[in-house]
Amino acid sequence: MPRLSVDSVSKRFGGLQALDRVSFTIDDNELVGLIGPNGSGKTTLINILSGNLAADSGRVFLDGEDTAERRPEQLARQGLIRTFQLTRVFPRMSVIDNLMVAGCALGLAQNEAEVRARALVDDLSLARAQDLDAGHLSGGQLKLLEFGSCFMVPPRMALLDEPFAAIHPTMKEIMASFIRRRHAEGQAFLIVSHDMPVIVELCRRTVCMNAGTVIADESTRAVLTDPVVIEAYLGETAA
Amino acid sequence: MQFWLGPRARTRTEFILSLVILAVIAALPLALVNEYWHGVVIVSMYFAMLAAGWNLLAGYTGQFSLAPATFGMLGAYTTGLLSYYFGISPLIGIPAAVVVAGLIGLALGYTVLRLTGPYLALTTLSFAEIARLVISNSIEITRGDLGLNVAGLFEDRIAYYYLMVAVLVGMQLGLYLLLSAPAGYYLRAIRDDEIAAASRGVEIVRWKTNAFTISAAISGLAGALYGHFAQFVSPELGLLGQTGIIISMAVIGGMGTLVGPILGAFLVYVASEYLRDFGGIQLIIFALLVIIFGRFFREGLWGLVYRAIERAAGRPASTLPGA
Amino acid sequence: MLAIDLTINGLIIGAFYALMAIGLALIFGILKVVNFAHGEFYMVGAYVYTLVALMLGVPPWIALPLAFLAGVVLGLVVERLLMRPLYSGYISWGVMKDEYAVIVTFGLSLLLINLVDKIIGPYAYKGPALTSASRIAIGPILISGHRLVAVLVALAILAVVTLAVRYSYWGRQIQAVAQNRLGASLAGIDTAKASAIVFALAGGLAAISGALLANIFNPTPDVGIFPAIKSYVIVVLGGMGSVPGAIIASFALGVLESFGGVYISYQYRDTFGLFTLILVLLFRPQGLFGERQREV
Repeated sequence: MPRLSVDSVSKRFGGLQALDRVSFTIDDNELVGLIGPNGSGKTTLINILSGNLAADSGRVFLDGEDTAERRPEQLARQGLIRTFQLTRVFPRMSVIDNLMVAGCALGLAQNEAEVRARALVDDLSLARAQDLDAGHLSGGQLKLLEFGSCFMVPPRMALLDEPFAAIHPTMKEIMASFIRRRHAEGQAFLIVSHDMPVIVELCRRTVCMNAGTVIADESTRAVLTDPVVIEAYLGETAA
Repeated sequence: MQFWLGPRARTRTEFILSLVILAVIAALPLALVNEYWHGVVIVSMYFAMLAAGWNLLAGYTGQFSLAPATFGMLGAYTTGLLSYYFGISPLIGIPAAVVVAGLIGLALGYTVLRLTGPYLALTTLSFAEIARLVISNSIEITRGDLGLNVAGLFEDRIAYYYLMVAVLVGMQLGLYLLLSAPAGYYLRAIRDDEIAAASRGVEIVRWKTNAFTISAAISGLAGALYGHFAQFVSPELGLLGQTGIIISMAVIGGMGTLVGPILGAFLVYVASEYLRDFGGIQLIIFALLVIIFGRFFREGLWGLVYRAIERAAGRPASTLPGA
Repeated sequence: MLAIDLTINGLIIGAFYALMAIGLALIFGILKVVNFAHGEFYMVGAYVYTLVALMLGVPPWIALPLAFLAGVVLGLVVERLLMRPLYSGYISWGVMKDEYAVIVTFGLSLLLINLVDKIIGPYAYKGPALTSASRIAIGPILISGHRLVAVLVALAILAVVTLAVRYSYWGRQIQAVAQNRLGASLAGIDTAKASAIVFALAGGLAAISGALLANIFNPTPDVGIFPAIKSYVIVVLGGMGSVPGAIIASFALGVLESFGGVYISYQYRDTFGLFTLILVLLFRPQGLFGERQREV
């Protein structure tokens, strides 16, 4: 059974068809990229998958269970975690406390959560800032923190929305190696990104969207040379 | 210093400090024999409870309710009506007040779940005004603005004094345990970013309603105790102006801290009694203080003190600048 | 006939509500925060009008614009000193701007009420009437001369303001800022000035409302609290930022209270609006005309 199954999901905002019968599946232990030009509906899709937005039609299954009507916090507890394009953390809580929120909410005991948080902070190279309020962190550190919050408790499915946007290459590398390690331990990822080199490096398979529909769903190499994809990004005559 | 400072230790430090303050308050009657001032301190402890209840909801959970005085009033009337009509002892009336206030708080919390910011404030404001008007107008039951005479608890004023101290100690302990537990993380997370909290798995509905319920219960308890102390309850307990005073105390003392409300309530109320001699300018001064603190010192008096301590200890400021 | 009488009465009171509410609607629209001192603009207007006329012997028709001016000045001062930090520069409240606004405007409200109480005294004055005609008959209805004149003034002002906001240069700037502050400033609009204009206008309008009603609701330091609460209800119902919406909601509330006061309960007539607010927000947390915030 696939870890995540998206079945003909559609969403309309007023006059705009943001998603039109989007379908694909992700098996456990797959690392899938999600690309597409701006406005193609990637974030809307992520919002629906994570429970922040309700689809107009179609269904989403997590390990075979329908996720309709589930709140984001319920899905999170079932192992579906996401990050936000515009990073969201708890600015008036320390870095460690930020991680502990995630840990405790997902069922860890307080001491265990603290132990994990301290370890995680080292993994993410945030150790020096660990007791600072998150509001003090730089943009890249914030992204790392939000990213780290996903991994206090190994998720079944991690949806990362533009995790590499506007961050320092060193931090990008930290995240990428993190993802690789966790992937090796069996976690499934769907990564939205415009950063092609990283997508190529991490994801064996990529889904490409344009104007609300899936226009390609194949191996990353194939997607990048797919004329339909190139046309979507560059316009008519480029291919 | 590690024991006292740092984000994890801060709540503990605040708790210990509040115990120290309460110890000082407990020792006061030895030096201050004048019964009038005992009364002043008792009333300031009443306000401290209301401020602490509101602080839990607004300072820690980010739900800016305008109904703290209302729950005090509801608690006072629960025990007041039971006492007035059925002669029920305060020993039963007071717990009843806590339960009633808590349940109404739960209902209100549930009602405003999806509301934020100004909408939340306005809905709680509407609730506050409706409640007060209902009590004020139900003259056959409540005697309206004339108020109800209510049985007392003790013969001596000093007994009320120490009861309030004990209750405050218990309340602070309860709040400390709550905020040191995972609940403390959840409430603050909801305050800082509700959507992020949900996406991390925090049960928003549960913790928001918990915050409302506990806050209301604390306020109800305060109101009930005050009612039996003053031996009188009236709709004036629920006036918007009272809520203003409560909020001011929490802001001046320090919102979102465990010791702020007690500090604020005590300082504000006692100071207002001193200033009474200067011809009623106390409210003007508070109002100014509220504006100044709101504008420049978000973290209140305690926040200023804490940052000074941090600086003295050579630690990096843990909180956002400009506070 | 009773129904007509009630309707007219409701519409009349609605016109006065509208004067207060449009300013608040604009403030909400442009700053997205509550102004809990709005009632005090009303109060200041009522006092300036009354005291200037009674103590300085100024004729009411001159006192009226003076009241407006007082409201404008107060609005400008409040905006500059207290509200500006909300959107320009760094502010310690950062994400918690709602809380900041509530606390600071609450404090302001407390300050103004107590200042007036201390300086002028808590006793009610009666504002002078705008006309000496005491009862005028219009068709089947009997109405006091002052009330009629006041309503006509109110309606005239409402019309002017609605047109100005919709069509004038600054009116459109304000609408732009209300829709998207960042975008508007990127487009070259002086958002600080727009905010200042909004506050000045809101202050002035509320002050005029207070002045016009000073003959009916005698000014006391806390005279503005009730009208303010009504305004909040109206703005939530009519749409934050929408002037036409606020006007319609004002008339609706006036009529609701008028009928409700007779058919449901006179004692609780002030609560109808409050109940309506709670009900509306229960089903539409963003208000009747508000947009569902795109959360993520």
